[in-house]
Amino acid sequence: MTGPGIKDFLKVISDNGVRSDDSYLTEAAMEIFPDTYAPRWLRACRKLENAGYGAPVLNAYVRYSLDVAQLVGPDRAIALADVVSSVAIKAGRAAAESLSFAALKAAERLDKDQQRFRSWMGLMERFADLAPESVGLVLDKMDELLTKLNVSRLEAWILAGVRSAGTDAERRLAFFSFEDTEADRWLDHEAGAVVLSEMSRELKAYMGALWNIRIPLREPAANAPDHGRRRASFGPGIVRVPSAFPGFRGQQAEDLFRAVVAHIGAHMLYSGPQFPVAELKPVQVVLISLIEDARVEQLAMRDFPGLRRLWVPFHIAQATGSMTAPSLMARLSRALIDPDFKDVDGWITRARKMFYERKDEWEDPLISRQIGGLIGNDMGQMRVQFNAKSYVIEPPYRDDNLGLWDFGEQESPETQEAEQLFDSVNIEEQQDDDDAPPDRERDELEENEEDDTNRMNIDFVEEDGVPVARYPEYDYVTGRSRPEWTTIVEYAPTPGPAHMIDDILEEQAYVVNRIKSLITQAKVSQPQKIQRQAEGDFLDLNASIEAMISRRVGEEPDPNVYGRSERRNRDLSVHVLLDISESTKDKVVGSNNSVLDLERQATALLAHAMSGLGDPFAIAAFSSNRREEVRYHRIKDFGSPYGAVSKSWLAGLQGGFSTRLGAAMRHASEDLKKQLTHRKLLLVVTDGEPSDVDVSDKNYLVEDARHVIHDLAMDGVDVFCVGLDSGGDSYLTRIFGRRNVVQIDRLERLPERLPMLYFRLTA
Amino acid sequence: MPLSDYLIDDEPYYHAVGKEVGHFEAAYADRMPIMLKGPTGCGKTRFVEHMAWKLKKPLVTVSCHEDMTASDLVGRFLLDAEGTVWHDGPLTLAVRHGAICYLDEIVEARQDTTVVIHSLTDDRRILPLEKKNEVLSAHPDFQLVISYNPGYQSVLKDLKESTKQRFGAIDFNYPSADVEAEIIAHESGVDGEIAATLVKIAERSRNLKGHGLEEGASTRMLIHVGQLINRGLPLGEACEIALVLPITDDPDIRSALGSAIAACA
Ligand SMILES: Nc1ncnc2c1ncn2[C@@H]1O[C@H](COP(=O)(O)OP(=O)(O)OP(=O)(O)O)[C@@H](O)[C@H]1O
Ligand SMILES: [Mg+2]
Repeated sequence: MTGPGIKDFLKVISDNGVRSDDSYLTEAAMEIFPDTYAPRWLRACRKLENAGYGAPVLNAYVRYSLDVAQLVGPDRAIALADVVSSVAIKAGRAAAESLSFAALKAAERLDKDQQRFRSWMGLMERFADLAPESVGLVLDKMDELLTKLNVSRLEAWILAGVRSAGTDAERRLAFFSFEDTEADRWLDHEAGAVVLSEMSRELKAYMGALWNIRIPLREPAANAPDHGRRRASFGPGIVRVPSAFPGFRGQQAEDLFRAVVAHIGAHMLYSGPQFPVAELKPVQVVLISLIEDARVEQLAMRDFPGLRRLWVPFHIAQATGSMTAPSLMARLSRALIDPDFKDVDGWITRARKMFYERKDEWEDPLISRQIGGLIGNDMGQMRVQFNAKSYVIEPPYRDDNLGLWDFGEQESPETQEAEQLFDSVNIEEQQDDDDAPPDRERDELEENEEDDTNRMNIDFVEEDGVPVARYPEYDYVTGRSRPEWTTIVEYAPTPGPAHMIDDILEEQAYVVNRIKSLITQAKVSQPQKIQRQAEGDFLDLNASIEAMISRRVGEEPDPNVYGRSERRNRDLSVHVLLDISESTKDKVVGSNNSVLDLERQATALLAHAMSGLGDPFAIAAFSSNRREEVRYHRIKDFGSPYGAVSKSWLAGLQGGFSTRLGAAMRHASEDLKKQLTHRKLLLVVTDGEPSDVDVSDKNYLVEDARHVIHDLAMDGVDVFCVGLDSGGDSYLTRIFGRRNVVQIDRLERLPERLPMLYFRLTA
Repeated sequence: MPLSDYLIDDEPYYHAVGKEVGHFEAAYADRMPIMLKGPTGCGKTRFVEHMAWKLKKPLVTVSCHEDMTASDLVGRFLLDAEGTVWHDGPLTLAVRHGAICYLDEIVEARQDTTVVIHSLTDDRRILPLEKKNEVLSAHPDFQLVISYNPGYQSVLKDLKESTKQRFGAIDFNYPSADVEAEIIAHESGVDGEIAATLVKIAERSRNLKGHGLEEGASTRMLIHVGQLINRGLPLGEACEIALVLPITDDPDIRSALGSAIAACA
């Protein structure tokens, strides 16, 4: 605002409106706030002043709300004052001060759309509720954020931060300050950038199809320096690929990822043993690598000519580029792959000629060293500066080429250690292994590391769990799932006394007896008669009579005059999933048993029934400790027998931690889905509402679990829940649906109820 | 001769991949039952046709399926206006009149069906027709051949050990690249260069066997692709129609395969 100072200006405002001495209103304000708006705006300013947030907050509002009004209308500009006020109260003055300017930027970025601007303001108010400490940080970056995100994506990103940090304000700050690299990752994700996690399965299959190479693809190590995250890299047994390539979208971004793995595949196939770095200067290392890149690509294109169409479009260096080292290198790279590229620079022409003259020797990695060495000397004489620290290879599909070099003993133990740590957490997602048809002998798969990760008989060496899979989690607020949001950590079961389980059976002799008779009944289930067969065990009387009539009248009779009876086989697999969260340690009123004790007894009886019936079944227990650690204990797998080992693990179960139900169900159902039986039943036994320490929104995990049920229905998995919390009616029916929940009100009867329920469910 | 319809007059094109022709002839000399193992579409059926032609024997082929009963193989009494008449099934026909009987995809049939071949495939060489109260001794020319794809059978569906051990086996696999290209060129009419590219494309899909695909693309599929190319479709589209889309429904694998195919030409 120009003209008189704001203080003066506000002097003229009274609670009722504008004083008669309008001269204090600048012309701009009058123009923007005509008629009735002017007094309302002035009142809004007044309110902010009286609230005592301090001059900076007020000044910012007065100053920017005028512009905001011009962009999205006076109503919004006036409403902004309320938002400033509530942000000031919740998130403090500094954030409130930033808000007005951020609002101006938002109004611009949101194309002056009033509706969207209003949603944005609403979002900021909610954000101040969820993460007051971080509001200022985000507001300061609003302009940039909104170049990438629309309002609903911005909300999704904010929620990703809030959900990932849970109630921990420090972690939220780390996220929203982008100190936590997850923030970038989710920003890419929400910005609709093509991200590695969405592509990696396809890329792995592409590598497999093209080169018959199977190797894990990972994101750069968490501790990798910034420029190290921008390009791919490979080493023995691993390929690292950036999680996203900023600036590339859609088809082009997908192709870039493909170009990356195709290039690395070419290295793996055609680059020989590592070159020793020895005394080479950085510029020589880079140039030798450059020739090597060109060499392996030429060889690859001999076998796969179509790769040229994949790679060449990423070479965009221009012959007119500057005479700096990076530019010359990019031009040379292009000159060596793109025959249509014309560059008259002497250095480039010479190098190109040398490279093509030795076409017949391309098979030999040595030529890369020789040509690279020579052009390195040339470049030295050209007095072109090369800064190895800031150098990033171009085009972006090329890897950093560290994998080509043997640095001798230089590698620091720290980085190695960090990598290992990272690797152990970042185990490939589950789906990898499902490529193989489930009924096939899987031994051929075991030879490679990645396919092995989800096998159930991991050797548990330590007490620590082994992260085995990651799953998405559904956020009802955004209506979308966040990929790889939860990590399943499998823990070795603690053995307990196996006889405990047999003791249970002994104590419950009455139930065991009933189970026994029910088993016999279920096994000799009513045979079904199948009529009108061409052959069978008995004559189908009706058909026979009809045939006789046909014969009498001289027609050709229907020969299907037999019938046979068939017993319907039980064709069903069951996965029992037990909630062993902290609350299951509670003693059941009027009993010496804890909830978990009763779960154990019930499961012992149920397992007895299931193995009696011969139904394939599995038992697992779960709890959770934040999204990074959904704890999973396998008691019995589908393939393994139900014997002393499983019994002792069942006996050894101990309660603790929280209940991230959805993630556990996702993991359990992966095994179940592989079963070949007609029916697949997931039987969940839980004692409380889904919850976890990093989740404050009560609906969030309930809705996620509900989403899982929905997905499982599509996959043909039935889910049934046995609720052990008499008050749990409402949320359990919300998750599972009314007909798929049964509440056990007298918990001490669970052990007998569960097997009976099972017979009913599977009859 | 009652089976003259089953005689093959013109030589079916078959390009030998290994020594299978000689091996089969040797086995036939002793009428040894033979099992042809190998993935789908790699020329097993064509091979039997070729051998039947070469040996100048009629060929009776039965495609086995889940609902097939023993009577479908052996024969049954049918009712007609006069009363009941016996009809020989295809197996009985072959046994009676001395043909090569080829049971395609035998594991598809239920196990109680497959056991009828037991007495035929040991030194008794007889086929009891229980319903008819007849024991039929095999004609001296009769031979039983079955096909068996070890890849996609589940444990539930496998041949019994007692069945397996009655047969000699010839292993089929995709021919070497040159031979396969020749076959594709011959069968679809594309030129040698395109045929070679098609083989390279097939290798891409075969690399994914067990890693996203149940089975790689068969020679049969490649011939289909070639035929579409011959009708003027561009290579990419022809592969899409006759290879990528039929072979998997998994979008990631489709996409990966599509990109790998694009790299081949
Ligand atoms: N060695 C070969 N010589 C000639 N043609 C071949 C050969 N291998 C495959 N073919 C061609 O491939 C096609 C498919 O072969 P064929 O039908 O014999 O396969 P198959 O092994 O019997 O498959 P399936 O197990 O699905 O029955 C044939 O029609 C033929 O054109
Ligand atoms: Mg490289």
